[in-house]
Amino acid sequence: MGVVKNAVSGLGFDQDAAMVTFPIDLFLAESDIASVKKRGEEFIDGLTHWKAAAGQTGLRNAPMIEIEGEDYEEAFTKANHLFLTNLWGDGFPIVPPSEKRVDRILTGTDLPRDHVLGKFMPRGGIVTVETVAVALTMAGGRPEYLPILLAAVDGILEPDLMHDTWQATSASTYPVIVVSGPIAKEIRLNSGFGLLGPDPQRPAGASLGRAIRLLQQNVGGALPGVGTMAAFGQMRYANAVFAEDEDGIPEGWKTVAEDRHGFVPGTNAVTVFISTGASNILRRGVGKDSVENECLQSLHRVVRYLKQANPHYLRGYETGTPGALLIPRAVAKQLASVGWTQESIKQFLWENSRLTQHDLQSTGLKPWIAQFGVQSIRETADDDPWYISRRPDNILLVTAGGAHPTHNFWMQGNSRVVVGREVRLPGTWRDLLAQADKDLGCGSDVCLI
Amino acid sequence: MTVLEVFDPSGATDILQLHAPRLKSLEGKTIGFVSNDEWQSHRTLPLVADLFERQFKHIKTVPYTEFPIGNVNIDSDDTVERAKTLGVDAVVIGNAA
Repeated sequence: MGVVKNAVSGLGFDQDAAMVTFPIDLFLAESDIASVKKRGEEFIDGLTHWKAAAGQTGLRNAPMIEIEGEDYEEAFTKANHLFLTNLWGDGFPIVPPSEKRVDRILTGTDLPRDHVLGKFMPRGGIVTVETVAVALTMAGGRPEYLPILLAAVDGILEPDLMHDTWQATSASTYPVIVVSGPIAKEIRLNSGFGLLGPDPQRPAGASLGRAIRLLQQNVGGALPGVGTMAAFGQMRYANAVFAEDEDGIPEGWKTVAEDRHGFVPGTNAVTVFISTGASNILRRGVGKDSVENECLQSLHRVVRYLKQANPHYLRGYETGTPGALLIPRAVAKQLASVGWTQESIKQFLWENSRLTQHDLQSTGLKPWIAQFGVQSIRETADDDPWYISRRPDNILLVTAGGAHPTHNFWMQGNSRVVVGREVRLPGTWRDLLAQADKDLGCGSDVCLI
Repeated sequence: MTVLEVFDPSGATDILQLHAPRLKSLEGKTIGFVSNDEWQSHRTLPLVADLFERQFKHIKTVPYTEFPIGNVNIDSDDTVERAKTLGVDAVVIGNAA
């Protein structure tokens, strides 16, 4: 029911609709649909007598909430209980978003707090700079994280990314934010060991990803099993927010921001795409072969993860991505040392992950292609071989991960486009970083005290 | 006593339009069926149409095959135009899961 309520809310109606609901079994192949016959009156009632709660149009602002306690500790605990009972939490303690705390977060932008970024579908809640700051406060964030969060949310709301769809789908999708530029180090965002978290030395990704997730749920309506049918949910308390390892990129290779979006090197930018799964790939050989052979074998091993009869590929087939391959600097340098380029790696992965018509038919992927909602993709249903994307360039290569030669990491895409956004810094940026040094101690690479 | 004042994190919403007024009866009306082509809608929607026809002597039902079909295609002006052309008074849309 939540999916439908969100959907109509997102269209600008009251968050309600006339529905006749059934257990999920009815909706499966060859199910017994006799129960529909017994519910005929409810269908008729929905068309004749049902009434929505809202009787008039207009903006509905959420008022401030007062929480009382004997002391601050009790009020804090009650706030956390309230946020869970109102379905605004995620199971971890939240930092209560008081005006003072939210105002502090808002020092991370020069934009006015009522600046509207858009509506977060499917529920259609209005996303303002203030709403984003509230989520970042709840997630334990800091003001210097806000510029990346605003850019990421702006990217997520890009209509071509179809967040109304992936927010609600059963496919357990989640946004991935790859950060390029000096801002990553400046705010302690991880690009190396443990970049998907947790990492107390570089904690920014956890708060940023969690804030996005809270926005998805609280403003966008993606409540598990109600507003989102994500069957498994991915370990997405904090989504995936990490930086490229720009110091580890081999000479001649580009950052994702440059390669995919044409940003000038050194630009602070986010790349946003949607993933629906991730796999660690042990790519290293046993060390007794030539570098050339080890590289070739490792790429063949990666191919086996991509060469899947995977309907998720269809979403990103034309303009999006089948996924992102994370390559640690040690692996990237080894590949580059024997002549592999980003282009040749993509080409290799693309060509060798193609599927035969037999693959398409034996796995039932062919009907998915033939019925897909985009004509140009439907027309590929008879292709033999069938490629996992229109072009090799659809595949994302990201130099990131711990400086270790053993693994790659494949983030399977379900992303109609890959969005790039420049990150805008406030005039007080250096002051915010200096304060961060005071609060968190001097980072290994940055210190402004 | 401490009072903690916090923001509601769900933000504002904007109701732009009200749901359509309901019909007094389905008798003499034309009811369209629109399918997202998912979750057995190809079986359940005709069954609901059949129920309507058994209950109302002068009802006219328009099968989902007369409209755009599929999640992407039904969310379009074409569906609205088609409903107008067919003189549809109300639609049943299915199925979500």
